Amino acid sequence: MNDSSATSTSTNFAKLSYLIIDDFESFRLSMREMLQSFGAERIESYTKASPAIQFCAYNHVDIVLCDFNLGEGKNGQHILEELRHKKLLKRSSIFLMITAETSKQMVMGAREYQPDAYLTKPINRAMLKKRLDSLVSQRAALLPINREIDRENYPEAISLCHKYLPMQPRYKTWLMKTLADLYYQLGDFSHALKIYEDVLNQRDLSWASLGRGRVLVATGNYEEAAGALDSLVEKHPDYMEAYDLLAEALEKGGKSVQAQKILEKASELSPNALLRQIQLASLAASNQDLSTASQAWKKTVSLGTHSIHDSSEHYLALGQSLSDLSEGDTSSDGHASADEALATLRRMERRFPDEENIKVCSRVVQSRVHAGQGNPIEANKALESVADQLSDAETIDPGLGIDYAKTLFRLNRDQEAKALLGTLSQRCADNPLLLQKIENLLDEPVGFQQKLKARALNRDGIKVFETNNLDDAIKTFNEALSIVPDHAALNLNLCQVLIKKYQNSDDNALLKQAQNHLDRLDNLPEQHRQYRRLVSLRKKLQGMMA
Amino acid sequence: MTPDNSDRPGTSRKSAQNIDFSMVLASAVHDMKNSLGMLLNSLDDLRREQNETIPESSKFNTLQYEAERLHNDLVQLLGIYRLGENNLSAHIEEHFVPDFLSEHMARHTPLLEGLDIEFELEAEDINGFFDADLLTGVLNNTLNNALRYTRKKIKLKATERDGYLVIAVEDDGDGYPENMQHSGTPDFKTLDFKSGSTSLGLFFASSVASLHTKGEKTGSIRLHNGGNLGGGIFEIWLP
Repeated sequence: MNDSSATSTSTNFAKLSYLIIDDFESFRLSMREMLQSFGAERIESYTKASPAIQFCAYNHVDIVLCDFNLGEGKNGQHILEELRHKKLLKRSSIFLMITAETSKQMVMGAREYQPDAYLTKPINRAMLKKRLDSLVSQRAALLPINREIDRENYPEAISLCHKYLPMQPRYKTWLMKTLADLYYQLGDFSHALKIYEDVLNQRDLSWASLGRGRVLVATGNYEEAAGALDSLVEKHPDYMEAYDLLAEALEKGGKSVQAQKILEKASELSPNALLRQIQLASLAASNQDLSTASQAWKKTVSLGTHSIHDSSEHYLALGQSLSDLSEGDTSSDGHASADEALATLRRMERRFPDEENIKVCSRVVQSRVHAGQGNPIEANKALESVADQLSDAETIDPGLGIDYAKTLFRLNRDQEAKALLGTLSQRCADNPLLLQKIENLLDEPVGFQQKLKARALNRDGIKVFETNNLDDAIKTFNEALSIVPDHAALNLNLCQVLIKKYQNSDDNALLKQAQNHLDRLDNLPEQHRQYRRLVSLRKKLQGMMA
Repeated sequence: MTPDNSDRPGTSRKSAQNIDFSMVLASAVHDMKNSLGMLLNSLDDLRREQNETIPESSKFNTLQYEAERLHNDLVQLLGIYRLGENNLSAHIEEHFVPDFLSEHMARHTPLLEGLDIEFELEAEDINGFFDADLLTGVLNNTLNNALRYTRKKIKLKATERDGYLVIAVEDDGDGYPENMQHSGTPDFKTLDFKSGSTSLGLFFASSVASLHTKGEKTGSIRLHNGGNLGGGIFEIWLP
């Protein structure tokens, strides 16, 4: 360890430019005085986020000293995210977050962007000088590597890391982390894994456990990853990134309910991470847990107020989620959800007035909300206000079109809905995601609660069928089909049971019934996942009836 | 800087009917700690502004010393609260020890100078594995304590012994009384709230030490007297 003298070579503070952001004048003044006492000359200070960000857009800043808590409005994390997101800060610049906190991760809710360093109050001159000194000399020492990373020349950055490792013991952790991360970025997972495992063989370090988990997820070893991350979270209940990764491993491993539980726990511990709320909302929605999804969208929308990640999509998703939740529920809870949906959508129209389709997207959902509360007049009024933008199935945005079809079903305009979805499925033939949505809607054009009921019945029917209890299976599938008569898989399931029963009983009426169910699917598009099964059952039935 | 509620421990479990008293306490402690942080900043400013008269003022030094002490206590209280909530864990990383210690010392410089106490840092050029935030809490408290009992000199020393990083704070005072010289973890139940010295700091220090593990080895603290300065020696052993 030969270069301990490096930090004592004093930084030339006069050469650098500084930006102080704090809402307290006394603190700004005292920071300014401290900086000046080291020889700093170019110092700018602001009370609020917006002018500070504006300043960075037009001026080069070397060192940002930003308080986390700025009172009302944007906080320090918002500023950091915005500066990095808009690339208003160079990689060589240093962002220091000033906090009164020791438990940082949890508070900031940071997920993507972390400051270069935290400064914990109280701060005095000697402390600040030491800290800046060592940050600036670290920055200088590692600049060649960072420059290559900025240029995305990862192989060169990797070889520099290897070169520096024996020379710079002071920055060993940074170098190891960066090296492993670079291998990961390049998709060289075996090298990345080797670094993490070498570190872990020496000592149980949480960053290396996390890195190893990330590699395991990337290479599809979900179960192993989930196991390792589970014990990491156990050991470090305040390690937010580990929760996020654990949830990812579980979800990709098909355990989406457990994944949701983990994200719920993480959001409880660290409620301010907007991106995590989005993740939770989407996961809960796909788990059919509408109330958790609505809560998480609500939180996303409210966290968005000051965030660079704010988006009309979150408002729309909240509106849709609350609409599903309130549908057909005329209790006071249902009313409240419906009102909230409408208020959210109106707010969206006001907040994003210049976005394309904003009004029409909003009204389509509003109409559905009214319909779900038994107000067809209001529902139709909402649609009429944007009728001209909904009339052309050939040009309508497909996502909007699907949502519109959903509303049409709710207004009992099934024929229009099916025609629209037919056109859309041709237009989206090469988009599996949208096709899937279209199929789901065609299969289950009913409200959320009914959809769940039909799905449960389908599952029961399959179970009963597996025990060879054919009559009960027929009864159960029929019950499900009374809710969703056009459901492709259900019709085919029932058809299969009827054929099997015929084979035991030779009752021709059964074949006739089976034929009826196949006929219901006459308009099934070729792209549908059940299409091939339909064709083969059709053939089989023809053979039997001949 | 505004007194905030975004970062209070446990706000998510608030309920008017069912008051969790330790949570209420923790929130209050949190606010007090932040206020003291402001106070300490102002004291530093004041010392600089009034550098004609203040450096010799023993009243001012007492003020700053006591405020520091209070601040440390509150930091430790919050740490212990989080320990109890199973919410505190050591995020161990590798650090270059001389850098860490000299940055750490900087915080105490004004008061050391004000009290005219000589200070020495003696650290080998080694890397150590520890949670910097937690160790900062421990050292703040230990140095603060040494300030109180030393005569003229304090030494911060880092060495590597038997596979442990040993950070020691030595002073030239009268040393620790016999009944305090032990190694190992004081039990929370044995803290004596009547004697005036609760050993809260030692409890926190040993809790932090034991969060540092490597394989079978666990960190610990040791208190004894002697050394080059002849006073008390606080040691934290980290594997």
